[in-house]
Amino acid sequence: MTETTERTFTLPDLGEGLVEATVLEWLAAPGDAIERNAPLVELETTKSAVEIPSPHGGTVARLHAAEGEVVQVGAPLVTFVVEVPAGEGGAGAQSGIVGRVPTEEEPPRRRVRLRPPEE
Amino acid sequence: MTGTMTEAAGAARGPAAGAVTREMSMQQAINAALRTVLEQDPDTLVFGEDVGALGGVFRVTDGLQRDFGAERVFDTPLAESAIVGMAVGLAMNGWRPIPELQFDGFAYPAVDQIVNQLARMHYRSRGAAPMPVTLRLPSFGGIQAPEHHGESLEALFAHVPGLKVCAPSDPQDAYRLLVQSVRCDDPVVYMEPKARYWERRPVDTAAGAGDMPVGRSRVLRPGRHATLVAWGAMVHRCLQAAEYAAEDGVELEVVDLRWLKPIDAEGLAASVSRTRRAVVVHEAPLTAGLGAEVGSLVTERAFGALAAPVERVAGFDVPYPAGPLEPQYLPTIDRILSAVQRTLEYERP
Repeated sequence: MTETTERTFTLPDLGEGLVEATVLEWLAAPGDAIERNAPLVELETTKSAVEIPSPHGGTVARLHAAEGEVVQVGAPLVTFVVEVPAGEGGAGAQSGIVGRVPTEEEPPRRRVRLRPPEE
Repeated sequence: MTGTMTEAAGAARGPAAGAVTREMSMQQAINAALRTVLEQDPDTLVFGEDVGALGGVFRVTDGLQRDFGAERVFDTPLAESAIVGMAVGLAMNGWRPIPELQFDGFAYPAVDQIVNQLARMHYRSRGAAPMPVTLRLPSFGGIQAPEHHGESLEALFAHVPGLKVCAPSDPQDAYRLLVQSVRCDDPVVYMEPKARYWERRPVDTAAGAGDMPVGRSRVLRPGRHATLVAWGAMVHRCLQAAEYAAEDGVELEVVDLRWLKPIDAEGLAASVSRTRRAVVVHEAPLTAGLGAEVGSLVTERAFGALAAPVERVAGFDVPYPAGPLEPQYLPTIDRILSAVQRTLEYERP
């Protein structure tokens, strides 16, 4: 039970209170399928150049800034078409902008085996 | 650990209008809890860095400013000490503030206000100025974030008289514990496990704070061979470890501590009295971590039942490492299982 919806990713604050960033290079184009956390765009701030991972898995619908353009923090950067559970939306449906979303429920491996105590 | 527990002030108040059970991420569950208290208590205020117009860096406060107005949900300067100081002043004037410090590591600049004002104002004023403040603190590691974004400060805050500390492990409990924290008339540090923000589970928003009093733990999985004690994101890891142990015929009980101050000493003792062995798991560094407190409480109350010393599986005594080293720092399944095995084969000298 899924439906598709649009999610617009706005430019996050990439550092300590920076207000804008310049788009250096798009690493995905409209129509591209993209995985969550895959490289999306390279941005340059007054501090450094940073590669931004995609906050969503889905299809890139629109880019809101051309290469070389300056984008204000909070302004739309890119819009995705994503699949979400039917009837879902709003808070929390978008991922965070600091750090990585942990990979889905892949149980960690084990090597240690246990021996039950003697009863 | 009794005598200072303040019961939820408004536990009799009903659920938010239109409450239903639906699947939510922990982010959405915390958002729903904030909506519940903002709707039901006109004295509540939500503020912090980027919580208003942006809706929080993790979308936790998404839409709150739009729906409750910029007078009750507002952005603050990037100054954690001022955020907590503002909460103290507002509480003295009858408000019920719910400030957010954006990340665990950014709580350090606010420690003066937290320790010297927030925690002791009620005491200092001889009861005239209660501090019904809920300090939301996205905490712990697991998302490979930069420095200052993966720290575990529970032992620091649990050590401060006057503060209560809790950490939910799943969306339903995140909802329940936040409503309960806000309605508590004492200051509560509410530690949100960032690594579990995206987990989706059914949440009943009509459950309110539920019937579990402040300071109550819960058994998430019963077992008879040993008790795993954890909080926040490590609860999930302990449940995974218990699954693996079951493959080997070892039945582990998993206790979600929930409240890190006050700690449910009786609940711990009841579990360990059944299983006779205990392993505490936390992300924070080992030395003087909360695992030592848990181990001591268990030993005091269940010494006769213990078949082995209480084991601790914790982070290492190093600064929280950069993202790529997180998997080596955080307690792994194998480290947890190895500690369990040590308790199983322990022989008294």
